Amino acid sequence: MMTQQGQVLETLLSGGFVCRISNEDMFNFLQQPQTAQQIENQLNILNRTLTKAADGEVFYASYLSLADKERAVLERQFKEITANLLPLVEWLLLVQESTGQDVPLSQGSAIRLNELQTTIEDTPALLEQLGKISTFPLFGSTSKTADGQLKQVFKRLGELGYLVKPNSEKQIYIATGKLEYLYEVIRFIDETEALSLTEQAEAAMQQGVLL
Amino acid sequence: MKDNITQAGQKLLRAMARHSDIIMQAYVKGAVDESLYSSQVLENLQNLGILWRPDIESDLRLRRIVRALLEEGLSDERNRQVDANIGSALAKVTTLVAHYKEACNKHRFTEAESHFADLTELTYAMIDSLKQGVRGLWSRIHKEFGYVASIDAKIRENQLAQQQVTDILSQLEMFHFDNLAQEAGSNRDLRRLLVVTLQSNFAAVTQELSLVQARLNELLGRFREFQGRTRLLKGFVLHIEQQPDYNPQNYAKHSQVPSVFNQAQAIIQPAAIDVRNANHEADLAQIVGRIKAILHLRNHTPQAAAQTVKIEQSQPVELIENKIRRCVEDYFCRIIDTGERLSALDYHIEHQLEFDHEAWIYQVIGGYEALPSNDKAYFGLEKSIKDHPQFNGNKIIEDVSLWFS
Repeated sequence: MMTQQGQVLETLLSGGFVCRISNEDMFNFLQQPQTAQQIENQLNILNRTLTKAADGEVFYASYLSLADKERAVLERQFKEITANLLPLVEWLLLVQESTGQDVPLSQGSAIRLNELQTTIEDTPALLEQLGKISTFPLFGSTSKTADGQLKQVFKRLGELGYLVKPNSEKQIYIATGKLEYLYEVIRFIDETEALSLTEQAEAAMQQGVLL
Repeated sequence: MKDNITQAGQKLLRAMARHSDIIMQAYVKGAVDESLYSSQVLENLQNLGILWRPDIESDLRLRRIVRALLEEGLSDERNRQVDANIGSALAKVTTLVAHYKEACNKHRFTEAESHFADLTELTYAMIDSLKQGVRGLWSRIHKEFGYVASIDAKIRENQLAQQQVTDILSQLEMFHFDNLAQEAGSNRDLRRLLVVTLQSNFAAVTQELSLVQARLNELLGRFREFQGRTRLLKGFVLHIEQQPDYNPQNYAKHSQVPSVFNQAQAIIQPAAIDVRNANHEADLAQIVGRIKAILHLRNHTPQAAAQTVKIEQSQPVELIENKIRRCVEDYFCRIIDTGERLSALDYHIEHQLEFDHEAWIYQVIGGYEALPSNDKAYFGLEKSIKDHPQFNGNKIIEDVSLWFS
């Protein structure tokens, strides 16, 4: 049996994100300064450090010092992240529109796949959007039906760590802290490049442009 | 006098009960469909002050007081009005206190008592309306303004609630307990009402309100965050639509890589097995056991040559039950053929059947009962019954006779 510390270390070293949804025990473990320091020391040996994101809601391992080898990895990763942004954002908006609550998904939000599917299948516009989203390389669905497309999209999101399925027999997914990380990435790009995305959206909404 | 009021009140309530359908229609739809009800009834309800017509061309609507009663009784979330008119109520309190004191001084005690009753009613009504306001605010908070769909509407509702809290607080400032204490003077009843009751409720309401305010601010913050996120996402999609070739700067190339883009690569690979570890033996054996044998790659042994198979008739075994059933069938056929009444035991003796009498009678009854109800109608069955000599209520069937009808 592995200790809690070992489990946390393994998750972090395999590139995983730790949040209170995906694993609450590990998250609490990392929140305590003392135990977090132990992990930090062990990570440091491997040129890694414990990093917090999204107001301390997610933990992951990042490089301590950057040489050419690490930079190459980061560049590849960055390309991946930016390429995945649009499909993920479109998916978030699709879910938000389908649930009809006008509330964006955040850590801990539950998505009932069956309900989502019913709404999407009943609305041609959403169906079209789902078709578009599912063909992004990130999701790579070849299915023609909404059922197959949705299943593939949710399966991929589960693999990527954005969603967890607490009960394998029920089609209910819960958003993890990695989603918060995604928001932070967008917010970071928005702020650094002064894209003023919020203002753009606001102006568009005032002009009545359909989004 | 009192009887009069009681009677009039009961008449009003009875009218409301009798026309509850009209009232509920007006409550739910906002107005009464006048074509559905007789004009006399509607006229009557207007005279009683339950319905009213705001102006000549508009429909009949429910009076505010009736609507308020229903909203309160049904805990309807449409009731978002907070009545915080403390100022006028306080002025009325002062007036009533003056009346009461004057009546006391002039030794008109019945009058004083009536003024005090009014004062009590007014004070409690004031407390009730304050508490009602706070309750309404809480229920809205608990539902997170669920009765409106969009976040923008929720924010507006939240702002309305905040405004109402501010209103109540500013009204509460009008309470000056030193003045009230002075008014009450040394009168015990007045002090209890104006100082003790009012003050304790005042404290409770103020405390609740501060909690309400904190929760409202928290909710507003959350709504704003939701709004901000939605706009961020929509803005991003819009930006990509306007500039399809947009790519963010490569932050990984910066000398200081921002922490959001600094993710270490996964370095842990699954560990290899150690076959020499005795502790793992059982687990490993299980894994080996689960490995599927691939059969189609193996050379199959030639199939065995065909053999002739002899099929023999199996020895017929007849059950006694079948025999008795057949005899019963014959008995039934005999009845059908002759059309005469025949006792089962007579038939038994006549044909010298080998079965036990009891089993025979039982089978006949069973055979009769098993007939489909259509066929059953063709037969008549009579049991000759004798009481049990020892146990009363128990019957013994001695014989049955059957006939074709």
